[in-house]
Amino acid sequence: MRANVNLFWILTVFLLLVAGTYVMWSWADNAANGLDHPEWAGSVAITLTAVLSAFIAFYLGRVHKAQGAELPEDRLDANIDDGDAELGFFSPWSWWPIMLAGAAALMFLGLAIGFWISFIAVGLGVISLVGWVYEYYRGNFAR
Amino acid sequence: MGCVTSTSITYQASAPLIKRPNTVAVGTIVWLGSEVMFFAGLFAIYFTLRSTSPDLWAFEADRLNFPFSLTNTIILVLSSFTCQFGVFAAERLQPYATGWKPTQWGMVEWFFLTYAMGAIFVAGQVWEYATLVSEGIAIDSNAYGSAFYLTTGFHGLHVTGGLLAFLFVIGRVFAVKNFGHREATSAIVVSYYWHFVDVVWIGLFLVIYVLK
Repeated sequence: MRANVNLFWILTVFLLLVAGTYVMWSWADNAANGLDHPEWAGSVAITLTAVLSAFIAFYLGRVHKAQGAELPEDRLDANIDDGDAELGFFSPWSWWPIMLAGAAALMFLGLAIGFWISFIAVGLGVISLVGWVYEYYRGNFAR
Repeated sequence: MGCVTSTSITYQASAPLIKRPNTVAVGTIVWLGSEVMFFAGLFAIYFTLRSTSPDLWAFEADRLNFPFSLTNTIILVLSSFTCQFGVFAAERLQPYATGWKPTQWGMVEWFFLTYAMGAIFVAGQVWEYATLVSEGIAIDSNAYGSAFYLTTGFHGLHVTGGLLAFLFVIGRVFAVKNFGHREATSAIVVSYYWHFVDVVWIGLFLVIYVLK
């Protein structure tokens, strides 16, 4: 994971350099046309891409520090079965995401052809979300 | 030994104890990274339109109600703190209050308080929108209106989604017999989202209401 963290920090530095260059260059270019500001869309987008990289790098760095040792997948001498610890709970299958996707499709259909359809979509969407969030909290799966 | 097919390499006596990163938490952070880029687009729209029509901005931005928005901002920022106290309770695996004092509150009480503060923020924004529309700044009136309602509106939708997420997490606590790490994880990732939305609002507030 150290490699992942380093990659994101390298990306951060690179994007900051690019952002600085972009701001100065577009500002100089604008100044030639009598404008006193950089090109905003690109300047904001590149700077915030640097923030995005720093955000993930910082978080992965913290996770790496907290885990206490290297993960098996980061070790050359690890075996396959070292990595078969419990990774978390994964639903084997579920209909709810499909229903939620259907609700989202209806929502955009409503925006395109008639807003009344969107009201139905919101209701369906809330039902799908509740169904999905509580799928493993009721019935046979209640804990 | 002729039938052994596996290589014997450096076996360890026992694998080192690893606290694996929580996949839900890592996934949430990466998704929030993509949300940063979504708002980057909105900020870029705002700055571009402002640079193309500075006079319109100087005129329209003066009509914003700064004290009202500042109060609303403070409420949202404070809700991030109450949310974090809820996370501390969840990390203690304490779902409910054991007494009336806030130090004895559980995750549910803190999250209900956070929900109320978030709801006040959204309601305040609806009131602000209604006032601005009555004063003639609508989403289709000019470039300022479009930029203002797109940026703050998408943020408001995110806050509303966060409110729904708080209800889901509180509902999960009510649904389980024993509050465990899975419920605590839901609480923690919702708090990540809430802090993110809060930070985005601080950015929007500085850009729209302070810098103008």
